[in-house]
Amino acid sequence: MSKKSLEAALARGVEILNGFLPLKSWLIFPVLYSACVWAARRVFDFRERILAWQVWLDPDFVRTKPDEFILAFFCGHEALGREYADEIARGDMRALRAAFPALYPIFGLEDVFLKALFKAEIDASDHRAIVVAFASRTAKAVEDIRPAAADPEFWKALFFAAAEAASLGLHLLKDEEVQNMIVALVKKPAGAAPDLPPDA
Amino acid sequence: MGDMIPISHFSARMRSAFVALGLAAALSAACLTNFHRAKRDYAAGQEHAAAMRTEQAVASWKRAADDAGRASLRRPSAQSYTVKGLAEANLGRWREAEASFLKAFSLGFAKGESWAADAALAGLAASFAEFGLEAPALRMYAQLLDRSDFRPALMFAAEKRTDLVLAGAVGLEPRDRDRALSGLNKALDRLIDRDFACGLYHYLHAQVDGHLGDLRRSYEEAVMARELGLPAEKILRDNDNQLVYCYLRLRESLPAAEAEAFAAAHARWAGQWGWRDARTPAWKKE
Repeated sequence: MSKKSLEAALARGVEILNGFLPLKSWLIFPVLYSACVWAARRVFDFRERILAWQVWLDPDFVRTKPDEFILAFFCGHEALGREYADEIARGDMRALRAAFPALYPIFGLEDVFLKALFKAEIDASDHRAIVVAFASRTAKAVEDIRPAAADPEFWKALFFAAAEAASLGLHLLKDEEVQNMIVALVKKPAGAAPDLPPDA
Repeated sequence: MGDMIPISHFSARMRSAFVALGLAAALSAACLTNFHRAKRDYAAGQEHAAAMRTEQAVASWKRAADDAGRASLRRPSAQSYTVKGLAEANLGRWREAEASFLKAFSLGFAKGESWAADAALAGLAASFAEFGLEAPALRMYAQLLDRSDFRPALMFAAEKRTDLVLAGAVGLEPRDRDRALSGLNKALDRLIDRDFACGLYHYLHAQVDGHLGDLRRSYEEAVMARELGLPAEKILRDNDNQLVYCYLRLRESLPAAEAEAFAAAHARWAGQWGWRDARTPAWKKE
């Protein structure tokens, strides 16, 4: 695997997706990264996965959990346990229950798209910022992606970008390396649109 | 002699007859192809859904709906509209599904009328819930669960009703909460009696059992759900988290000998599911 050719493939992907998401470059990273993860890990079925993408936040699992489950979730995750140590110690279920809907899909269900969408906060271990921004940023992502999502060519372009990266050995890199590579590429074009989520 | 038809006129008529025949054959073949493709894609969608490959299932249903729509335009038939409606219902496009089933009914599909009514009710309930009108939404979901025999609407109603009742139960007094949740579980029991092989119902039951503190039953239902198959990756993951949660809590609370036997049984399940260990499903740290 040549890191350079992989980077070049991802750069082509970013360039093409820029055409579909004008002035929405902050979305290119989560979209391309999650496509790449699926391309690399589920090579055999990812084409249809991507072409079938609707929205990423469809409410398909039971979101209301018992207090004990929520507590176990916070205590079972090292970083979250640290961040919310006070609330856990006080048994402040109101605060934990309020934070749970934002943090569980990311850290409990490991939603790749959401992980990329909140990469900055995850890297900075700023979990409370995720909770604050979750509703508005996810709603904005869905809204901003809608025009492009209606165009079948967008999905084809995404498929080819991710497939090319996968064929060049993307899976041999660590998740963080792939993420950083795409983030750097998205930030590259001078004067291009916002490369950070609007409320980050 | 006066009745003779000029050869040029005859051949022109023959030509147009051949063209018409050829066109009809081509159109009919195209129609047949669309319909067959729609049926094939719909069946593939069902297979993908049963194997928890949600995104592929959605892609197949979208193709099935498109192809059945084209086939219906060219040659309307009860079958093509039924396939279209089924695909739309699976995609949650309830209004479109209602229209398709009504057309199927008008073309001779006897169940089309009741399926159209169920699709309409499901769509209406979803709209009410979206606008925060939960009480009427709950009544409609309950009505669907009581009388519908249309599986996509039933599954949708079961999932949504469970979600709404659980959310509403959070602020209730313990006695009222337990009463509400027990009622919900009875409805889920009835659904399981009717369709034991539906993994989603067992998943929902496991969730409600978790709220009621019946972790043993919750664990069993979650195992059943995993074995029978779930309709989406996120649900599968949530179900796995429920399994891990129940496993850890039960192991703590059971007497030593029983806990050991339970841990051994759980380890066997975990091995069968390809988990890395008793508390780490394969998808963790994706």
